[in-house]
Amino acid sequence: MSTVTLTIDGRRVTVPEGTSLLHAAEEIGVEVPHYCYHPALSAPAQCRLCLVDVEGAPKPMPSCVTQAQDGQVVRTDEGLAREMRKGVLEFYLINHPLDCPICDQSGECKLQDYVHSEGRAHGRGVEPKRVFGRDDFGGDVLFYGDRCVMCTRCVRFMEEMAQDPVLTVVERGDRAVIDTFFEQGLKDSPWSGNIVDICPVGALVSKDFLHKARAWDLDHTPSVCPNCSQGCNIDIHTRDNVVHRLKPRENPEVNGHWMCDYGRGQYEWMNRSDRLEEPFVRGEGGWSAPGWDGALASLRERLEGCRGPVHAVASAHASNEDLGALRELAERLGGGDIVYRSPRAPDEVPMPGFPVLTRRRDLAPNTRGAELLGLRRVGSDDATGGLDEAAAATGALIVLGDELADQPEDFGSRAELFVYLGAHPAQAARSAHFVLPVTTFAEQEGTFTNVQTRVQRFEPALRAAGDAQPAWQVLGSLTASLAGEPVPASAAEAFGRLAAGVPEFEGLGYDRLGVHGAPANRPAAVAGER
Amino acid sequence: MSAPTHVPFRNPGWAGNTGEFDLTEADVRGTDFVGERPLDGGHESAAPSYPYMLPDKDPEAVLFEGPYRERFEKIRSRYPTARGALIPALNLAQELRGHISPETMDEVAALLGLASAEVRGTVTFYTMYNKRPVGRFLIQVCTNISCSLCKGEEVLDAFLRHTDTELGETSEDGDFTVIEVECLAACGFPVAVQINSRYYENVLPDDVSALLQRLREHGE
Repeated sequence: MSTVTLTIDGRRVTVPEGTSLLHAAEEIGVEVPHYCYHPALSAPAQCRLCLVDVEGAPKPMPSCVTQAQDGQVVRTDEGLAREMRKGVLEFYLINHPLDCPICDQSGECKLQDYVHSEGRAHGRGVEPKRVFGRDDFGGDVLFYGDRCVMCTRCVRFMEEMAQDPVLTVVERGDRAVIDTFFEQGLKDSPWSGNIVDICPVGALVSKDFLHKARAWDLDHTPSVCPNCSQGCNIDIHTRDNVVHRLKPRENPEVNGHWMCDYGRGQYEWMNRSDRLEEPFVRGEGGWSAPGWDGALASLRERLEGCRGPVHAVASAHASNEDLGALRELAERLGGGDIVYRSPRAPDEVPMPGFPVLTRRRDLAPNTRGAELLGLRRVGSDDATGGLDEAAAATGALIVLGDELADQPEDFGSRAELFVYLGAHPAQAARSAHFVLPVTTFAEQEGTFTNVQTRVQRFEPALRAAGDAQPAWQVLGSLTASLAGEPVPASAAEAFGRLAAGVPEFEGLGYDRLGVHGAPANRPAAVAGER
Repeated sequence: MSAPTHVPFRNPGWAGNTGEFDLTEADVRGTDFVGERPLDGGHESAAPSYPYMLPDKDPEAVLFEGPYRERFEKIRSRYPTARGALIPALNLAQELRGHISPETMDEVAALLGLASAEVRGTVTFYTMYNKRPVGRFLIQVCTNISCSLCKGEEVLDAFLRHTDTELGETSEDGDFTVIEVECLAACGFPVAVQINSRYYENVLPDDVSALLQRLREHGE
């Protein structure tokens, strides 16, 4: 590929031919302010904020659409370019309400950032501002017309990505405003949350998140969306150990810049307060809470006297490490059948403009991982039924993560040993001999294997509830003590052990997975979604 | 070179005209017309840009049937994309119905296979689409620079006073709607007033009463 070399802000940079000035500047760490340009959308060059001074050009050039040329001398940071931006920003503020103190975008607002860094310190406007008020676009989206900078990213997203052009610019001049067809709204678009993400200002905000938290109080934890097997890369935004919202994290192989409204909306369960917080052991005198050491010691004793095939019920919400540890324990005890249940939607919902991203039928994050680890799917599409064998098991019965909501109260009552590992109390686990609290995916480190057989890491966003421990740690230490081996010390180590036994994961380590994950070794011929 | 034997068209409202209209609509256009458009669509290059202002509009008119359907098909065939045909199609709808209601936007969108929201965006961008019903005479008074210097605002006030309406509202008898516009491109002859598709130039505040009277009695 041929390249061009140019000078930006006094520094030489070489980029492939056809690169825009904006991207060329990015190469050397110079961010040219912009609103209308978005890497995944067409560039109309209408916000006039990315104008840069190109030597020899008769007037400032929009850097988002101007291609870098050999020998060009570009200034983005001083003189004309800076003056231009200062002027443009002043225009943007003519009718802007400056309501940052009550605006959700405050703290992550591009208008705020740009004006703060290079706008005028004081406004000169004396005329009254025009007022639109706010408009409910339906779904989770609320529109504050007065904050809008008319970048039309939302209009282009609906047209190019969702391919459902329900948004448009209505009227002209200072009366121009983003709107739908009268009261029609966004028509329940499954992708509408993304327009809130790409809005550079506080014009489009989430109703769900409205006035819940200030942007600067939120902690961002890289994670993977747990709501379908697509495994969109996300950031979990938390404050004071409470999840407040999920935001997509860019990954061109999986979800681009986007995620679906279904995934985005299902996070309240991570905040559930009805948690198992310490291990319980049922003995002859009823339930006791001996702490982890006591519980694991007596469980180990019971396991030693209980060899033979086990029945195990797992969940596709559990990580690869958790499921791998369960499998290892089951194998040590004499093998057996591990089953899981997972809800399935009737159909897939692809994003028309980026069909790699699809809300998959499997509404759990690790069904592919479960399949790779040899787990067997049972039950119906609403994740009920299919556990008759396990319910009537007479040997060892281990349940991991499945809340058994549809199961009878005598579930597992005939089992010689019934161990329940879960985050939440389960009615059907009253026959259990051991009830062990484990963390949710949001409280632990681990990996999911998505529908593309891509292994992706997530990190803990919340503190564990009470004494809850990751399942890989609980199960791993049991296996280790039965085998006289060292206990896995970290999720990375647990994954390492797993990878040694599963050809698809061989050679993959946490280092190699990085923040965007990596495909498993070969497309495994697994049953299920195709 | 002999003098032309046939003068097909004489604009009765052109610059310098003092209002001595000696031709009727039929004289000017003959009888082969639908509204203000020749049945054969007129010259191709000008067809989409003709002003459509019919004195008799039917807000319930069907989009489109009969000769209007033919004209619509002709418009549609002239553009490589449906989006290209949007503006002339809207012109046709306004010619028929007198204004573009939300329902009309929806219907035009369906006819062209466009999104309703996009049609709304286009209609609201252009001020010459009436978003609400207007009177039999739509009076557009220019108050841009030249006209303003020659008492454009006073002419506008006179129209509002004599028709007893508010800006943009329609008089009770349904005859007049007065709006203010930016530049009718007749800056040489201020104050310029466009009434339906006719220009009235050099209008003074004192002329307004008589002008309205003539409109009431004789039409355009």
